[in-house]
Amino acid sequence: MNRILLSIIRKEFHHILRDPQTLVIIIIQPIIMLFLYGYAITLDMKQIEIAITDYSKTPQSRQLIHQIESTSFFKVTAFDIPERGFDRLFKERKARCALIIPSDFARSLHSKQNTKIQLLVDASDPNAANYIYKYLLQINARFTFKNNPHLVQPFLMEPRILYNPDLKAHNFFVPGLIAIIMLLISSLLTSIAIVREKERGTMEQILVSPVRPLQILVGKVIPYILIAFLDGVLIVALGHLWFRVPIIGSGLFLAATLILYVLTGLSFGLLVSTITDSQRMAMLTTLMATILPTIMLSGFIFPVASMPKIFQYLSITIPATHFLEIIRGIMLKGNGLADLTRQVLFLFGISFFLLLLSVKKFRTTLE
Amino acid sequence: MSQIQNSNTADTVPMEDDTMAVSVRELTRNFGKFTAVDRVSFSVQKGEIFGFLGANGAGKTTTIRMLCGLLLPTSGQASIAGFNVYTEAEQIKMHIGYMSQRFSLYEDLTVRENIQFYGGVYGLSRKQIKEKTRELLDYLNLWDQANKLTADLPLGWKQRMALSTTLLHDPQIIFLDEPTSGVDPVSRRNFWLLIYKLAARGKTVFVTTHYMDEAEYCNRLSIMRFGKIVEIGPPGELKAKYHARTMQDVFMNIEHREER
Amino acid sequence: MQRILYLIQKEFRQILREPAFLGLIFGAPLIQVLILGFAITTDVKNVPMIMVDQDHSQMSNRLVEAFSNTKSFHFLGQVGTAKEAVHLLDRNKIKLAVVIPPHFERDLKTGRQPRVQLLADGVDGNSAGVALSYANQIALKLQKQWFPRLPHAPGTVKEIHLTGIEARMLYNPSLESVNNIVPGILAVLVMLITSFLTGMTIVREKEIGTLEQLMVTPIRRGELILGKVIPLIIVGLLLFTIAIISAGLVFGLWMKGNILTLYGMSLLFMMTTLGMGIFASTLARNQQQSMFITWFLGIFAILLSGFFIPIENMPRVIQWITYLNPVRYFMIVIREIYLKGTALHYLWKEALEMTVFGGAMLTMATLRFHKRVG
Repeated sequence: MNRILLSIIRKEFHHILRDPQTLVIIIIQPIIMLFLYGYAITLDMKQIEIAITDYSKTPQSRQLIHQIESTSFFKVTAFDIPERGFDRLFKERKARCALIIPSDFARSLHSKQNTKIQLLVDASDPNAANYIYKYLLQINARFTFKNNPHLVQPFLMEPRILYNPDLKAHNFFVPGLIAIIMLLISSLLTSIAIVREKERGTMEQILVSPVRPLQILVGKVIPYILIAFLDGVLIVALGHLWFRVPIIGSGLFLAATLILYVLTGLSFGLLVSTITDSQRMAMLTTLMATILPTIMLSGFIFPVASMPKIFQYLSITIPATHFLEIIRGIMLKGNGLADLTRQVLFLFGISFFLLLLSVKKFRTTLE
Repeated sequence: MSQIQNSNTADTVPMEDDTMAVSVRELTRNFGKFTAVDRVSFSVQKGEIFGFLGANGAGKTTTIRMLCGLLLPTSGQASIAGFNVYTEAEQIKMHIGYMSQRFSLYEDLTVRENIQFYGGVYGLSRKQIKEKTRELLDYLNLWDQANKLTADLPLGWKQRMALSTTLLHDPQIIFLDEPTSGVDPVSRRNFWLLIYKLAARGKTVFVTTHYMDEAEYCNRLSIMRFGKIVEIGPPGELKAKYHARTMQDVFMNIEHREER
Repeated sequence: MQRILYLIQKEFRQILREPAFLGLIFGAPLIQVLILGFAITTDVKNVPMIMVDQDHSQMSNRLVEAFSNTKSFHFLGQVGTAKEAVHLLDRNKIKLAVVIPPHFERDLKTGRQPRVQLLADGVDGNSAGVALSYANQIALKLQKQWFPRLPHAPGTVKEIHLTGIEARMLYNPSLESVNNIVPGILAVLVMLITSFLTGMTIVREKEIGTLEQLMVTPIRRGELILGKVIPLIIVGLLLFTIAIISAGLVFGLWMKGNILTLYGMSLLFMMTTLGMGIFASTLARNQQQSMFITWFLGIFAILLSGFFIPIENMPRVIQWITYLNPVRYFMIVIREIYLKGTALHYLWKEALEMTVFGGAMLTMATLRFHKRVG
């Protein structure tokens, strides 16, 4: 019994180690993804092109312009363009926004309570538009306080940012990447591994031998658990040592949840492989039905709370949603099992359900 | 060894001779360090059924692929229907039909659609395609199956159909690479009847096979081993030379002798 | 020419005969536009938050009210202490807690500037930053209202001169990220499907053995490639059209610019993706491999296209790499045409770059694609 299992496991390892493509999936792709994402995804915008048209030309307006120029957020690319030229400027993508200081700026600043400055923003990227607007509000506030020494705020807002005080993007994305990459490996590889045997007819060969279906499944799955787990450890280590993502919680607990998550991914792969007949369909199904939704709906990049209600419910069925909370919780917040019971139970539930389903499907396909 | 080489040279005919459909001299192909085909020389006359025998991996398929212009030789000379394999691969393709050991029709097209497609690829006119389709369906007795998916045909019929589609453009030379592997004996017999008919119409047939009974049907045979031609001649002569009753015995004899 | 027609006919027959494939080709754009369009949102909304009011005065109530009545926050109620709030943050129940100190009202009225603490979960730095700025905006309104109540206010209020920014958001006044994301999805769709399909249809013939059969026919290399590529271009354009229509029907988003410019540009772009597919097929031995190669290239191409991470935000070195990414150019083009209605003469640079890329990719692929097996 054990020897049968061992021989299946050994065979599977041979497959993996002899197929360069699989090795690329296992080792190279995760590392490239980690580094590219790690460096590419940064949230701070810099050097936003701004056009300034100053109709006032007074020391006051120059003071405002100076404040804008002195930040690294803005780069002034055009001066004193007439207003009808802005549309063209935006369409040529020479500037993202334009500030228009009115001709009565200085006078109004001394006589009126409120002076308006006009801002035009190319909002085709709404996120950037928001940033630009908020940044200019900050500059404006500074300008206002400087001009009005009597102005004091009735109360102060004092932000304290927990877990990631410098708002580093790495701390957010690296744990997320671990979730994505491990899912990619565990589900994609398993689904292909089983369907490949179906396609080549070797599955039949194994089936006529005195092996029980469960043994086949277990034997096929164990090597991938091991590999996906090692991969997870590799990425966590890289993230921790290279990108300096802290691991505040228990490393042991993290390792345990990694295994649980790998199990969930594998059960996905198993299910896919029982319902498809060709490697092509298996791969497409895995990519379309598991990986894409995971990237989009799990909260990996886009916050779940901002999505429409239906998608928030849908995201509950995605294992990565829960694992993301687990891994970010452990690494950044120092969460223990007590804080994450719900998420862990969800993962158990999902993988149990999927495994049950695929074992049942697997049995019926054999008959 | 030297004796065999002698028999090879004795068999070599000048390349210019236009009664030759295929003539090959010192043809060699390496894959890295491995020599799949090693200085092979032979020639095939027009209208001949020429058999190519050998165990798996002896170099039969590699040779055929070089002759069809699918693979460039490493060295040596070969001309097919008077065209050079190095420089005139595309002209060769106008004059040959090729059926590989893998089934090469589109399984997700119907019988009729397959004929139509290959006819079109060979540049037949719409009218010619129509005629050919009728002719082929008549000949293969496939009228009932004409609009069925090729995937649903029995293997024997698929094979005959595959052969027929390679004949759509009326080639002079037909290369068949293990055409009957996996086919039942009756279908194999039918297939060979077809080959005889072709030869009777003056076509040259170049066929590789595993089956020794099929070898007997050929006009002339060459036996390959480890990339070299070790024996060449009509089946009768070979049997006489090895004092064997069947080609099977000849083949075993050679394998045995070479092993020593 | 006639041969190409036969190749095209064959290709369509094969496509039409595989229902799963057909479903994938035509179902995928619809579903993707739907799901991705709704799900991918860079807006930060409904941030779950609680309040800790340790003052229970009229003014602290006003502050609580202000936070509970906004779409940006999902107000979950109040807890007694900051410690409880931190515990909720720990357990991921909330992303933000606003802590009003004791004696808030008294301190405010006597001009002692009470400090309201904002406890934010910084794990998702982007969302945290946005949430904090929402909170500041809410506070600002009250600060303006309450300024005259300060003890020294009566004497100084006349000397205050404020400057305000009057912003006009052009091209996308509602600032909805859907308007930016959906055109991006269209670009990604075209890229993924055409490169995937090209690679796969060629490698499938390699696997079955029909490609070898085609190679011994007198068909020319260029004809063979065109015969493969033309049906895929047609399928690609069809798919693009379906996606455009579904984006219009579902999100009410129609392009502002010229439709012919957009289709012309997408043709230029497809040169690259098809070339990529053919290239992958020359490297791959089986369909799985070709799929893997295109997926591998695709995932990086999408990441570095500016689809959801603005290229300007990336470090210099990575920005340079993005110049090698053809999707980057199409992403710009499709967004410009969709949102701004930008005319062709402002986009000629992108068009040129895509042509160069497409041409190079196709040439390279064609050169690698031999009519030989070895």
